[in-house]
Amino acid sequence: MIPVRCISCGKVVSAYFDEYTKRVEDGENPKEVLDDLGLKKYCCRRMLIAHVEAW
Amino acid sequence: MEIDIKEKHDNELTFVVKDVDVSFINAIRRICTVEVSTMAIDMVSIFKNDSTLFDEVLAHRLGLVPLETDLEAFVLPSECDCEDNCPSCSVSLILKGKGPKVVYSGDLVSAHEAVKPVYDSIPLLKLKEGEEIELEAIAKLGIGLEHAKWQPTITCAYKYYPVITIDDSCEVCMKCVNECPRNVLEYDESQNKIVITDIENCSACKTCMNNCEQEAIHVDALNDKFIFKIETDGSLSPEEVLENACDVLKDKSEEIVVFCKGGAKK
Repeated sequence: MIPVRCISCGKVVSAYFDEYTKRVEDGENPKEVLDDLGLKKYCCRRMLIAHVEAW
Repeated sequence: MEIDIKEKHDNELTFVVKDVDVSFINAIRRICTVEVSTMAIDMVSIFKNDSTLFDEVLAHRLGLVPLETDLEAFVLPSECDCEDNCPSCSVSLILKGKGPKVVYSGDLVSAHEAVKPVYDSIPLLKLKEGEEIELEAIAKLGIGLEHAKWQPTITCAYKYYPVITIDDSCEVCMKCVNECPRNVLEYDESQNKIVITDIENCSACKTCMNNCEQEAIHVDALNDKFIFKIETDGSLSPEEVLENACDVLKDKSEEIVVFCKGGAKK
C-alpha cells in the first residue's frame, strides 16, 4: 500500500496514486504526470516514483 | 506591515510581508504548523478486519486522512464538558466493505455533514474475495503539538527577501548567468549587461558570487521583508490557518495583559 502522506513534508500523495499509476501504464511520461498532478517538491515525487505495489 | 499576495492556488498561498521582524514572522509560522487545531481520526474501534493490514497500521492510515474542518462547530476535547466524547467535540465515521475491492477514504460515512475526507481517492486497504472490514472511527479536534496528523499545514516557511547587486566592475563573462541553478539572472543584449529577472526565485545560494572572478556580484538579504509560503492539507484553507494562528497568538498575549493588570491565576 502506498503511504498516505509524503514521509518528508506531509502532502497527501496517496490521493493521486491511482491516477498516476493508470496514466503511467497508459504510456505517459511520469515526469509530465507528476507536473500535471501538482506534485512539485522532490520529496513527494519520489514517493510515487519509488513506490512498488507489492500486494 | 505591508502584505502582497504573489500566488494563490487551491491550498497554496505565497505572499510577501514587509516591515516585520524575524521573531514575529517566526511566531506566526510556528503557531500555524503546530497550534492551529484541525479534525483527525483519533480512536478506532475495529469490529472486523480480515485484510492483510494489521489493525494498528490501518488505524494509523485512517489518522493521516485529512478531514474537512469546521472550527466553529466543534470544541477541543480538553475544553469540552463531557467525560469521553460527545457530539460537540467528536464525530463518528463508519467504514464498511466487502472484498474483493480496494477501500478508499471516500467509503468513510460521516455522522456530520461538515466533516468528511478532503480526498475521496486515498486507498486505505485492499480486501480479497470473502474478506470484510467493519469499523467505527472517532474524529476529534487536536493540535500538531500532540501528533503530526493534526497539523493543518504541509509547507509553512519563509525566506528573507534577496537582493542582488552588480557593480560596474562586471566584465559580462556570463559565468553567473550560466551557473545560477534557478535562472535568476539573464544577459540583456541591448544594454550589454547582466540583469536580474526573477529575484523572488533566488535562494541566496551565492553560486553566482563564488563564480565571479571580478567580485562584481553580491547577494544579500533584507531583514525586514519576507517571502512566506503556506500550503495546507485541505482541512483548512491557508487564510483560515493564518487567521486562527493570529487568534492563538492574541489569546496568549491576552494572558500577559491579564497578568499585568494583577488578575493572574494562581
